[in-house]
Amino acid sequence: MSKHTQWVDVGTLEQTTFTLSEICDHSELHAEFVIKLVNYGVIAPVTGDDARTWSFDLPALTRLQKAQRLQRDLRVNLPGLAVSLDLLDDIDALRREVDNLHQRLRQLMQE
Amino acid sequence: MEFKDYYATLGVSESSSPEEIKKAYRKLARKYHPDISKETGAEAKFKDVGEAYEVLKDPEKREEYDQIRSYGQRRDGSFEPPPGWESASNFSRGGYTEADAGQFSDFFESIFGGRARHGHHRQGAGFGRTMHMRGGDVHARLALFLEEAYNGCEKKIQFDVTEPDAAGGMKLRHKTLNVKIPAGMTSGQHIRLKGQGSPGIGGAPAGDLFIEIELAPHPLFALDGRNLVLTLPVAPWEAALGASIKVPTLGSAVTVKIPKGSSSGQKLRLKGKGLQGKTPGDLMVILQVAQPKHHSEKAEELYRQLAKVESSFNPRSRLGV
Repeated sequence: MSKHTQWVDVGTLEQTTFTLSEICDHSELHAEFVIKLVNYGVIAPVTGDDARTWSFDLPALTRLQKAQRLQRDLRVNLPGLAVSLDLLDDIDALRREVDNLHQRLRQLMQE
Repeated sequence: MEFKDYYATLGVSESSSPEEIKKAYRKLARKYHPDISKETGAEAKFKDVGEAYEVLKDPEKREEYDQIRSYGQRRDGSFEPPPGWESASNFSRGGYTEADAGQFSDFFESIFGGRARHGHHRQGAGFGRTMHMRGGDVHARLALFLEEAYNGCEKKIQFDVTEPDAAGGMKLRHKTLNVKIPAGMTSGQHIRLKGQGSPGIGGAPAGDLFIEIELAPHPLFALDGRNLVLTLPVAPWEAALGASIKVPTLGSAVTVKIPKGSSSGQKLRLKGKGLQGKTPGDLMVILQVAQPKHHSEKAEELYRQLAKVESSFNPRSRLGV
């Protein structure tokens, strides 16, 4: 590494959106597959009425990539992907909630 | 080099049928898939399972592996391939399958040769064809303390990217990056660093780096979305009479007015004192009436007086007793 440390700024994070072709580029997927995922409600575009004007946000991209990994590694089909991703989201949310409740419980018992 | 017992990895035996091996692999792949399992080391186990299956599902590789296995490991568990060993499958020259194994172990390479390709689609690169291929995206996790997330911070992130090597294959390169994390990130949120992933091939753009944020639990503040939750102990007389008390926040401490007649569980909302963002979170303060561990004679006497004055109060009326 060079002597001068280079800092990478991530300021304009929330504005990041991707078109259909950009999102395909990132995940090396065919547009047809992404369209199917949208139709199954696995991911949703933030704007756009038809596929040509769709734009996706960062959570949609990461979700799409997760879907792709599950499909590739575990051969999950489309309806299965929709169910798995929803359940995984639920589990994540519950896990966080349990962690928080545990923590608050600890605080209450501390007295 | 460590000897890898692929049969043990999959929990099968040398006499197991291809069907049994497939079944065992599928089960373990589901169990340890990094997107599914939160177990520590799940990713490494997933890779081990994938590597084991890569060998055992292929009759030719399995036979070679069985030979190696009977040749055996050394007493200390280390392993060297037999002198003059050469695999027929010649992994390095395009025998690769659809599995995206990233990197297989040294043990695997010593038997089946060459470096595993990172993704089969990169294979043309070594054969003199002109390739244009966008670099792969890289995913990393970053744990932050709540204070760091609240204030924003500078973090050193280490990750591996894949890039072409001189022989036309792909190799891993360790990369370190200093990243300025903006204030207000929370668990499960992603950061994208454009062009910081694996380099592209043939002048194609580099992939991106995606960082998933994970917040470490804080001793005082719990997190509820973008809101922070603080349990605030108050003395019985502060709750009864009302008081102005100092409350810690993730910024500087603030003074909060406790209303007269407060009780445990009551919530106060400090607007905008949660995590920052487009819609900043609040700090939720939950009152908790606390008692001194020991009361003096004088205090006990005062309580006895209080009990007489407030004799009509039944804190258990809701319990029907």
